[in-house]
Amino acid sequence: MEFGWSDDARALRRDIQRFLDSSLPDWWGTPGTGLGSIRHSEYSKEFAPKLAARGWLTPHWPREYGGADGEPWQHFILGEELWLRGEPRGPQYMNVNWIGPAIIAFGTESQRNQYLPRIAGGDVLWCQGFSEPEAGTDLASLRTRADRDGDDYVINGQKVWTSYANVADYCFLLARTGSTEDRHRGISVFLVPMDAPGVEVREIDAILEGHAFHELFFTDVRVPESARLGEENAGWDIVRHALAYERVGIPRYCRAAMQLDQLAEWARENGRLTDPAVQEQMAGGRALCEAARLLVYRVVDERAKNTHVSSNVHVARAAMVLAERAVGDLGLAVMGGYAVASPIDSQYVDSVAAGLAAGTYEVQLNLIARTVLELERR
Amino acid sequence: MDFEPTTEQRGVLDALTTLLARHAGTARARTGAGQGYDADLDRALREAGFLSLFGAEGAGPLEAELVVEQVARHLGSVTIGANALVGPALGIEADRGPIALVANPAVPIRYGAEAEIALVVQGDEAWYYTLQPDVVTVVESPYGVPLARLAPRDGHSLGPGSSGRMLAWWRVAIAAEAVGLMSGAFALTLTHVRGRKQNDRTIGSYQAVQHRLAECEVLLDGSRWLARQAAWLGAPEEESAAAAALAVATALRLNREVHQVTGAIGLTREYDLHLWTQRLRLVTLELSGLLGQRRALAQARWVHQDV
Repeated sequence: MEFGWSDDARALRRDIQRFLDSSLPDWWGTPGTGLGSIRHSEYSKEFAPKLAARGWLTPHWPREYGGADGEPWQHFILGEELWLRGEPRGPQYMNVNWIGPAIIAFGTESQRNQYLPRIAGGDVLWCQGFSEPEAGTDLASLRTRADRDGDDYVINGQKVWTSYANVADYCFLLARTGSTEDRHRGISVFLVPMDAPGVEVREIDAILEGHAFHELFFTDVRVPESARLGEENAGWDIVRHALAYERVGIPRYCRAAMQLDQLAEWARENGRLTDPAVQEQMAGGRALCEAARLLVYRVVDERAKNTHVSSNVHVARAAMVLAERAVGDLGLAVMGGYAVASPIDSQYVDSVAAGLAAGTYEVQLNLIARTVLELERR
Repeated sequence: MDFEPTTEQRGVLDALTTLLARHAGTARARTGAGQGYDADLDRALREAGFLSLFGAEGAGPLEAELVVEQVARHLGSVTIGANALVGPALGIEADRGPIALVANPAVPIRYGAEAEIALVVQGDEAWYYTLQPDVVTVVESPYGVPLARLAPRDGHSLGPGSSGRMLAWWRVAIAAEAVGLMSGAFALTLTHVRGRKQNDRTIGSYQAVQHRLAECEVLLDGSRWLARQAAWLGAPEEESAAAAALAVATALRLNREVHQVTGAIGLTREYDLHLWTQRLRLVTLELSGLLGQRRALAQARWVHQDV
């Protein structure tokens, strides 16, 4: 048990920071250009190849697929530093975190050859087609169907809350290939080109500043059998495997802690930092950010040691939500009217979304109750 | 970064568990030894070297912190945080007697009457006092831990800047003791909700109960790792305050929740829960309580340093 960084890890962090200082464009960080905006996503196709050229896009992947057999810590440090700067990989963080690894683990050689070079090169965007109008937390109820027709599948259905669908080249789609009674046993994964005839994207008008999300409609979308990832009806296990660590794939506590520091700077400039009430609120948020950081690190440590995916991932995810919520709340409490249209106000909205994404906060609590606390499921 | 105990750390904890099985626990906490100062436990811990880990070769403050957690969890009635962490950090030899920690003479101190030494925060300096009986005023205690006010005299300074060191390690000790006490109370509560049935269901199967306890688990786990990190880092001002701030906030929440889901039996002295929660409440009050811990963190993070 120890809590220090190796010299290599510290050096990597410094190198990434220097690289970011010199490479991000002038418009970076201006309103409306954040993660999920079209400009941000398009820029990721300029930025990610630069990361790839330095060996920093997929360092944790196996060498044969464009990686460097690196430790999870290396990839995670990258994630922290990039997230602190607004995640210039854009939607490609999903590519390298779990879409590519899922294709490595479950894809055919042909699929690996087709998809992995572009992901490792940094010039392709994916979205994930999971949630549906009647299948959110209860994902096993999804209704989008993929029916066999000769050597093809024909896909019909609707997905919702899909980020990056407006810019994505491919969709990592979950569709039902068995009966609805099969629940999670009747689901398959498809890698669907977004320009396939019959795919329609509609933006949903939402309150997330600059971040668009979408409805996806599939009407008689025909894909070959080779678009299916893994065995038919085995999609649930693929997704569980692929997303095992994705609940902590985004180091959200980093940005919450950074915004807390920025709030402190605002409070200092406005004579509020000496107010004991302000100090107490801010310290409460800071302590939660630090706790979330360590709980996430524990999961990364497990991954680095190749131990099985433990329930600690749910504890870490819940801790991140608590930290983000605390910072979101106290930002508004401290700034009052000065928070209008500020990054602090955006943090509040992001903290609302944090409790919904990657499995709702309540789902995390349910899983902690059953798997960590060993409480009975009704 | 490594969250797994080393073989040596496992060895320390295994040996400690064996010792605590003999010299601590709920039954002993109800005896005279457990309700006063447990001299037998103190002696056993010293003889086995558990109070000397802070500066020991092959061990260090993290191992000492782990000991504090476990002794608190097993309801050891000794000045474990002060003697395993704070005293050694200020250069007090391990063979000295029980240590009382004082920041405000007006406030009753745990084991004030039984302590042989007082370490007192006085401005920029920590002062060392050998305690005499006539400086002690015993205060009645409902907490299962004896209390007294101290007015020590004829001490000496431990040097300029020593109070900062004392306060930082005291905060780590508070966090470690709180984590240990919370762990004990929480374990008992989980056993209770797994077995207690109402309306033909275990109360632990109700989602309303599950979510409250799951949140406690998240906060307790976070507190545990913050305390350990602070000890490993050598108690920097900010990390120590963060550990104490989260542990104390969590203690207030967890104390309430474990009593809520346990029901009225948890308020009785017949049932064991109070053995942890009463002590826990005392720990949360030290160094001006939650607001004091949070102000210390804010000062360290944003006032003493440039943002």
